[in-house]
Amino acid sequence: MVDGQGNLRPHWRGILAGLADGAAGSFGEAARRMERVFAEGVTSLLPGEVPGVGQASWRCDPVPLVLPAEEFDHLAAGLTQRARLMEALLADLYGPQHLVAEGLVPPALVYANPAFLRPCRKADGTASHPFLHCYAADLLRAPDGRWHVVADLTSRAGGIGHALENRRMLSRALPGLFRGHQLRPLRPFFELWQDALQHLAPQQRAPGSDGPAVALLTPGVHHRLWFEHVLLARELSCALVEPGDLSVRNGGVFLKTLKGLQPVHVLLRRVPGRGLDPLELDGGGMGVPGLLDAARHGTVKIVNEPGSGLAEAPGLAAVLPALARRLLGEDLLLPQPETRWPVDPGVLENLSGWTLHPATGAHGQGVVPDALDLAARAELVSRIAARPADYVAQQALPASVAPCVQGDALMPHPLRLRLFLMQDGSQWHILPGGLARVEAEDGSTLAKDVWVLHQDNARIAGPAAQRQPPLAIRRAAGDLPSRVADNLFWLGRHAERLEGAARLMRATLCRLDRGPLLPHEVAELATLSRCLHHAGLIAAEEQPSGAGTGPLREALLRSVQPSGAVVEQLGQVGRLVEAVRDRLTADIYATFTQPLRSLLAQAATVRGLDALEALLAEVLRYTASLAGVAAENMVRAGGYTFLDLGRRMERAQSVASQLHFALAQAPARVEAGLRLALELCDSVITYRNRYLGILQPAPALDLVLADPGNPRGLGFQLRAIQTLLADLGDAPLAAAAAALLAEVEAMPPAILASPEQAAATTTLAPAIGRVEAEVANLSDAVTRRYFALLPAAQALGGQMEAAPPATAPALTDIY
Amino acid sequence: MNWRVRHVTTYRYAETVDMATHMLHLSPRAVPGQRVLAEEIRCTPTPSRLTQGTDHFGNRVTWLSIDQPHDRFEVVAEAQVETAFPLPPPAEATPPWEELAARPGPEAVEFTFPSPMLPENAAARDYAASSFPPGRPVLAGLLDLNARIRRDFTFRAGVTGIATPVSQVLAQRAGVCQDFTHLMLNGLRGLGLPARYVSGYIRTRPPPGAVARQGADQSHAWVGAWLGPAHGWVGLDPTNNLVVAEEHVVLGWGRDFSDVSPLRGIILGGGRHWLDVAVDLAPG
Repeated sequence: MVDGQGNLRPHWRGILAGLADGAAGSFGEAARRMERVFAEGVTSLLPGEVPGVGQASWRCDPVPLVLPAEEFDHLAAGLTQRARLMEALLADLYGPQHLVAEGLVPPALVYANPAFLRPCRKADGTASHPFLHCYAADLLRAPDGRWHVVADLTSRAGGIGHALENRRMLSRALPGLFRGHQLRPLRPFFELWQDALQHLAPQQRAPGSDGPAVALLTPGVHHRLWFEHVLLARELSCALVEPGDLSVRNGGVFLKTLKGLQPVHVLLRRVPGRGLDPLELDGGGMGVPGLLDAARHGTVKIVNEPGSGLAEAPGLAAVLPALARRLLGEDLLLPQPETRWPVDPGVLENLSGWTLHPATGAHGQGVVPDALDLAARAELVSRIAARPADYVAQQALPASVAPCVQGDALMPHPLRLRLFLMQDGSQWHILPGGLARVEAEDGSTLAKDVWVLHQDNARIAGPAAQRQPPLAIRRAAGDLPSRVADNLFWLGRHAERLEGAARLMRATLCRLDRGPLLPHEVAELATLSRCLHHAGLIAAEEQPSGAGTGPLREALLRSVQPSGAVVEQLGQVGRLVEAVRDRLTADIYATFTQPLRSLLAQAATVRGLDALEALLAEVLRYTASLAGVAAENMVRAGGYTFLDLGRRMERAQSVASQLHFALAQAPARVEAGLRLALELCDSVITYRNRYLGILQPAPALDLVLADPGNPRGLGFQLRAIQTLLADLGDAPLAAAAAALLAEVEAMPPAILASPEQAAATTTLAPAIGRVEAEVANLSDAVTRRYFALLPAAQALGGQMEAAPPATAPALTDIY
Repeated sequence: MNWRVRHVTTYRYAETVDMATHMLHLSPRAVPGQRVLAEEIRCTPTPSRLTQGTDHFGNRVTWLSIDQPHDRFEVVAEAQVETAFPLPPPAEATPPWEELAARPGPEAVEFTFPSPMLPENAAARDYAASSFPPGRPVLAGLLDLNARIRRDFTFRAGVTGIATPVSQVLAQRAGVCQDFTHLMLNGLRGLGLPARYVSGYIRTRPPPGAVARQGADQSHAWVGAWLGPAHGWVGLDPTNNLVVAEEHVVLGWGRDFSDVSPLRGIILGGGRHWLDVAVDLAPG
């Protein structure tokens, strides 16, 4: 930030002024605004405190890291050279391996490196090129201002989605900050990238495929960087797929969608190379059997090539300067810290000033011996002395710092920069931005936006240096994967199940907290308890016997405690929302998840029935907003159809079961049963308005069974199911739903025609119970037909190559 | 000598397999001392796709996929092979073992490192070490180790599986050819000596008057040991205490069994399965 004389570097003046007054008022306010914007936008995209999903944090400092044009151009040239070097190195190691024979690459860093994927090698040099489509490097700035490369990322080069999102959030939180600065935009890089991916598609494609289909392959929702995969897939307009969504048929790679198998031509992988194909590699059984064979035959292009992570082994840095001369005939443009592999006795004697990394495997922050206590240091020394080739020592650079907001002031913190490059087939392009990270006081990591300034206007001569090639027309492989439809269907079902549980419990509670029960209340409570038991909310022995409701109260309270039925249901909803997050806009996602967290927190504090009732009211508000937001904001196609279908089927089943229990009474009690039926279908007021106070079976049944206008009635659900199935083009299943509807619609007129309405009403109970079973069958049919549950895969005949246990300190970088 | 190989692998499944993808290491490779005259692989059901190539080690590989539902999968691999493996040099003519351990050379160095099924194992190293006193010519030590394994261990089928670790073989002093080969590799690599896992066959019926060989009706395995650039590799069969010369046919090699498993696959469905393997290697 300051030059050698202690003066502020010129580009900093405007930014600091902007932060302190113009844009935000104060540094502290700027930081708070960032937190707010992140809470609304990004944090909601992070795996939150939803049960079953891990946690992550992502905070961004309002002060950007600013790179003047000249400084950045130097970095761009140096990293482009390094990318070319990595490419040449991989081409040799996955080809003829001259470098090993010549003694330039130590054999241990190849043959004992778990990142060397033997099935990806073509000894005759016919392996598909290029290996690298994207590349990233981590850099540290030395006190003299020179950037040093401390890590190469050749496998997946993660973090670029973060970089883009940091920029977006900063410009949303502090738009004033950008005024008066000529900084290079990030978007053109992503346009180029998207285009380059399309061009990677094999020239000869299967007949019937209409354009190159690009997909981003993610390990799935449980991966800690899943949200970055979502962001990236959106940015690059490609389908987000998991290994289980793909199938190799006849040498081609296909995505399993509702419309059947759709070809995929390019896979941008965010899955470790090892996890691509369980037939030839061991990623713990992960992957798509036959994928490597398909890639070898060029029907699909995987980027970066599986196995390209080999080049990022920290130990290789020791030989990179020599390799640059041998492979490129050039000296490295960017310095790197001195690196010793294997760790020599001289280093071991005095570890101060060194950072230690595992020689192979992923880059991490490394172990800083100076930060260890004596015992830990001695242990480290003996561990390394026993196996010096498993470690590499990298000279620690004195911390170079960048200003970060802390409280209301700026404090300097050590900074690490990651820059991203992409190769379009003819040349490398660098993202004019990046991801900077600082370690905050409390040890947490804080991100920073990276600004690359344009050259001063005066220095720009002639047209812009980089010509933009015309963008090709692209199509995304956007058809709904079966897995997504499956998850949406179950999200609909579980959200509705949650609502049904809350309604049932509320109806029960208002009879429990009124003191001594009247006889008709005892009967109603018995019916409600049967419903609760049927819904799995209470156990059989917890149903009240006579007026003894103690166990029932206990059971209801228990249902909102951890691992109680309601909490489990909230967890299911949370899990499924995470699983379909890439299908939801940020707003919808926030509506779905934020109340969920507070509901879980509130549930944990419930001790009495009053608090329980308040919680249930909140649950009902939540499910109502869920339904409302989905209905008002989701496009009526594919995804929403399944969400709604799940909800309608669940509601049809629960309404049918509740009516079944309500009507299964002695004829003398039918009136009480009907009253309860109206209550459970939220139809008491409607009935009263229509028929005043007179309760008769036929009109009441018409309202809860047949009335097409009652959204809580059974007929309404069946009609909706029929329409949704017809929308899917599924005539046979739609016809089955129509038959059920006709059966239900015929019930009220039959009762009306009956001379003895009360007695006839009670005989309906079993028929309505059968409707519940029929809807369940329909649901199974939908599941079988659309979600194509495949039988489990198993491996035959041979120990797979297992990932060796980490022999060295496991300090994996989160990116 | 000319050989006819017939190797039949049959999987039977309790439930229907909807889809299967397999990788086969069942085609003999050409090596110094071995010519492949004819060779064929037949599968039932007929694969919807079948491709062939070579792997990192230069072995011949067949990939195939089956899209039709099946409850039985059979592979018949047949080959005609001519072998005339050169005899190794006199043991005294080979370099001291420490020399090779110190400089294994680029063509052999890969086979000095631990591998998926053979992590470092101090007990195996110590077992091998007593065959390698200081300065002993490498082949002398190898022959001694080969003989000791035959003497100290009992050939017994069924006490080990394809994934049995060497530590268990050492403890129970019994196993099959794969186990003895892994033990020897583990020990040699522990000393820094390059050694590789060779997959292949041994003559099924002995010539009149000779003893029957162990492991003859199954796939066989032995050790390829490095004698230095002047003499190359030698095949040593610890299961029978033989130097590979007249009774073996090579399929391929790797670091351990996992690199050259004759047949592996990923199947969808299938439930329980039963495996049946029949091998016949006869002069012809």
